[in-house]
Amino acid sequence: MFTFMKKISFIILCITIFSCSPSKSSDKNKVKIGVTMLSMQNEFIVNVADAMQVKADDLGIELIIVDAERSPLKQIEQVESFIAQKVDAIIMNPIEFEASSPAVEKAISANIPIINVNSATKATPTAFSGSNDKESAQIAMKYIVEKTGGKANMVMMHGIMGQAAQIQRDAGVKDILKKNPGISLLAEQTADWDRAKSMDLMQNWIQSYGNKINVVFAQNDEMGLGAVNALKAAGLKDKVLVISVDAIKDALASVQKGELDATVFQNAKKQGYSAVETALKIIQKKPFDKEVMVPFELVNTENVAEYIK
Amino acid sequence: MQFIKSIRQYGIFLAFLLICCFLTYANSQFLTLSNWTIIITQVSINALLAFGVTFVIITGGIDLSLGSVVAVAGVVAALLASQSDLPLLIPVLGGLLSGLFFGLINGFIITKSKIAPFIVTLGIMTMGRGLALILSKGRPISNLSDSFNFIGGGDILGIPLPIIILLIVFVISYLLLKKTVFGRYIYAIGGNEQAAWASGINVSKIKIAVYALCGTLAGLAGILLTSRITTGQPNAGAGFELDAIAAAIIGGTSTSGGKGTITGTLIGALLIGVINNGLDLLNVSSYYQQVIMGAFIIGAVLLDSWNQRSSKA
Repeated sequence: MFTFMKKISFIILCITIFSCSPSKSSDKNKVKIGVTMLSMQNEFIVNVADAMQVKADDLGIELIIVDAERSPLKQIEQVESFIAQKVDAIIMNPIEFEASSPAVEKAISANIPIINVNSATKATPTAFSGSNDKESAQIAMKYIVEKTGGKANMVMMHGIMGQAAQIQRDAGVKDILKKNPGISLLAEQTADWDRAKSMDLMQNWIQSYGNKINVVFAQNDEMGLGAVNALKAAGLKDKVLVISVDAIKDALASVQKGELDATVFQNAKKQGYSAVETALKIIQKKPFDKEVMVPFELVNTENVAEYIK
Repeated sequence: MQFIKSIRQYGIFLAFLLICCFLTYANSQFLTLSNWTIIITQVSINALLAFGVTFVIITGGIDLSLGSVVAVAGVVAALLASQSDLPLLIPVLGGLLSGLFFGLINGFIITKSKIAPFIVTLGIMTMGRGLALILSKGRPISNLSDSFNFIGGGDILGIPLPIIILLIVFVISYLLLKKTVFGRYIYAIGGNEQAAWASGINVSKIKIAVYALCGTLAGLAGILLTSRITTGQPNAGAGFELDAIAAAIIGGTSTSGGKGTITGTLIGALLIGVINNGLDLLNVSSYYQQVIMGAFIIGAVLLDSWNQRSSKA
């Protein structure tokens, strides 16, 4: 009986997909994918979720998107309830490398495919769609080396210490610094990914290092924009290169205005799209890539227009 | 004996001076006009919140909703300021009224229901955060008008506007608490609510007014923050209430009510600002900044209880 039902649902599924008719009505045989996101209070994560929803609507898939609110425990519970609901696949945007791993193991042992999006876990999921955070800092640093000819006094703003993105981006920076001894790191400090905090920090740095600073690298755009604000107020923006990561809307506008010198674009859309596509391929038992790596892209005044929609 | 008594009374002020002396010695940049302009600008938002919460704590209450109210007021102001055809007054009023609104709700529920302020404002804190996210659809609101951004980023005769706002609010709060009947009633309620009620003070009305004042100041802080970072952020202000309460407590406001001054709170806020600034100048990790700040909070309360015991003896 069970296999019969499964076959029928599979046929109906195929019909829906091949006829490519997205229907809003939640008919029972629609492919259902459970999605748990790190935090729907974070613009980038919301963009990834939106992209997944768009793709799912296109493909006629039903998505159940839930917010884990940065709690690994909550995320595991959400995955457990997806397993209980017998969804066809789970897409997880892991909160933490170690702490979200049990969720992956639970899904795998329940024979439900699980796809990690944006960041990784220690346990190996069925598939992964995302980017390597270390690369983002390396791209930014290479741009800094190129712009300064390898001789500069730099300051770096960290994100919340101990978070995966902070650790990875820090490692990326330190890699390039090792190869370029001409660039000295005057100071590094956390501004907690926060624009107001980064303004305060930048003001304090201007106070203690004055004209010595030529380069600011901020591990995200919020902090980069805060640094730009502080430098502008001190009349120093023309003398200091500011580069940050994420390419959020405000940052792109700032690059276009010629204030923020560059940002690194992490492709939320592609990450979201490929997560849903991969999930569908797995459900349909088609061949799929175990790892879809979406590359980072440097955005400066020359190409910023392509990124502003 | 007189000397020891004054050490106890002015303990925090002395600690503040000592830290300033140390930082002046450790870093040549510390005691400069430009650095102090920065410190006071950075302190302004926390000080506004701390003034408001000082009133509340003196009545024996607490307000945990401050950070969320900052976010809501900031988002409302940003939404209005991103419509560039509106005059500056509209976003400013929008922010202030959102703050006032939350303050009134806090005050009404606390006085009418007799639920502990801790719980009421905790509930409002959560609701406020949700509202900020709903209003902004979870995303930052940017492209604010230049006139609005001037509030947090501009200056008049070289003095940053946040400092001017801080001074004005300081003077008003100081006078309100020290020189008016309203201020005396606030102390009376915090000292002994029953006695205040028995002597004919309209306790509910005063309390509602105090929470409304605190909320409005949070609204002002939200406007200042939003215009300083030139964007309205629904996640802004998380944890601000704790910094504000810390400033009030370090400044000698007693959590059991009835005691506290606006000047003390200002020094508390400045102390926090000076420590942050000084440790940044010395490139000390922010981990240590947190440890030091925690020590100061406990130290201030110890000093306070020491004072109370010795005055009873």
